[in-house]
Amino acid sequence: MAEMEEGIQRLGRQDRAIANEVQKSVRERRPLTLRRVITNEYVLHVVSAAAFLTLWHEVAASGVFKGGLCTPWEVVVRFRGLLTDTLAGLTLWGHIAASAQRIAIGFVLASAVAIPLGLFMALNPYVNALVKPVFDIFKPMPPIAWVSIAILWFGVGEESKIFIIIIGTFVPCLLNAYNGIRLIDPELYDVVKVLGGNRWNEILQVSFPASFPAIFAGLQISLSLAWTCVLAAELVASRSGLGFIIVQGMKFTDAALVIGGMVMIALVAWLSSLLIAGLEKLLCPWRRDIRDL
Amino acid sequence: MTHKIECRHIAKVFIQKGKQRVHVLEDISLFVRDNEFLVILGPGQSGKSTLLRIIAGLETPSEGEVLLDGRPVSGPGPDRGLVFQSYMLFPWKTVLGNVELGPRLRGVPREERRRIAQHYIDLVGLRGFEKHYPHQLSGGMKQRVGIARAYANNPQVMLLDEPFGQLDAQTRYFMEKETARIWETEKRTVLFVTNNIDEAIFLGDRIVTLKGKLPGRMDRVWEVDLPRPREHTDMEFLKLRHTITECCELTL
Repeated sequence: MAEMEEGIQRLGRQDRAIANEVQKSVRERRPLTLRRVITNEYVLHVVSAAAFLTLWHEVAASGVFKGGLCTPWEVVVRFRGLLTDTLAGLTLWGHIAASAQRIAIGFVLASAVAIPLGLFMALNPYVNALVKPVFDIFKPMPPIAWVSIAILWFGVGEESKIFIIIIGTFVPCLLNAYNGIRLIDPELYDVVKVLGGNRWNEILQVSFPASFPAIFAGLQISLSLAWTCVLAAELVASRSGLGFIIVQGMKFTDAALVIGGMVMIALVAWLSSLLIAGLEKLLCPWRRDIRDL
Repeated sequence: MTHKIECRHIAKVFIQKGKQRVHVLEDISLFVRDNEFLVILGPGQSGKSTLLRIIAGLETPSEGEVLLDGRPVSGPGPDRGLVFQSYMLFPWKTVLGNVELGPRLRGVPREERRRIAQHYIDLVGLRGFEKHYPHQLSGGMKQRVGIARAYANNPQVMLLDEPFGQLDAQTRYFMEKETARIWETEKRTVLFVTNNIDEAIFLGDRIVTLKGKLPGRMDRVWEVDLPRPREHTDMEFLKLRHTITECCELTL
């Protein structure tokens, strides 16, 4: 970050040397007023969250939903207990790990096949002609539709859950890799041609790096789909995982367990998407700070 | 004596939507001397970019041929460097990474290609920006990178396709001066395509004007016998500008 700022400053100093080519905006310090405080983005975030929690608390306390809704605090207490107590032999960490492991295996397997296949299809018309018809049949099928057949094939164990995740994440991974290459400006290939490069240079220097951002967009979509899939699979049949926690809560009319499970899924899914975003930043340094400049 | 580049009766027909034939160029014959700065001046839609792409080897002419040092051209090659109208920098590479691409593709060892790239980055006035990514640069600076990239591959001929078309008037004027300076420092045979008459007279040893409306045809060849460095407000400059404007249709 400091390095970046230094770079911007240097950019500022240099462009005076090269005449009027860059214009820079200067950030001014404004006085702190009440109006500025209440219109501050982060203050508004806090207001919004507090309002939501208060509303939730009041509705739960009023007892409209009877046992079907509990207060936010009850959820926190319930899940603090689960950190040490076990549910079906596993603590909360164990259940998170169970879901996360399924996601990780399914997600890695699917993207390891789908991304190269998508790239191949975009780069080679014969591969495309061979794969596309079959792919188009499967493309519109919602992954949840595969739950029943997965259980028929693999039983209720880990395999069926991983299978559904693979089915669910495969399509967006492949489509984004494919489109990532299809949407490259053909003139970028001309650059390599004119500099004396061959087809292999074009693929290595243009196709791959240019499709990176699209591939990562596909991974993000896939990941959120993977959480949907693992949940669906766990709701149907499982002895562990965040979906299992929710089902247990439903069976015993334990609203805190159900709601807490939902919150935990949102939290873990969000954290895992941060992981992918971090990976993208690491692998696509040219995308950093584009918004700022 | 053979010229550096010779175009013999080049014609180009594009096939659109399956069968519609679009004549883009017709009977273009021209030559470029060694280390000469030749400008091709024509209005929009006169096929001048297509002509440059044919010389670069990115398109094949429907008729005629392009000769480089007397040998026919049959595809793109590192002997001709191309500077693109829309810069075409690789956003995932730094300035240095973009400039050293040519030597890198030719397998020049790391140290050597760094040295070459640095030389041309300095030449185009971008020292200090080696680690910047293209999105951090202004339009004029981007095209400097484009020029440095083409130069760094050490081509015998530089082809520039309306390189300053996207720049504002002041920057454009400034870049024209820079182009003249760079060319005087490291002479190459240059083919420069533009639709701007001031740019043409400011830069060219000779100017080839094309007739507007497709298909593009040769109009005339003008010798620009003005001393360098030139001034846009010079009397001789303005006279020639007037003569060329009178003779040619430079608008659509």
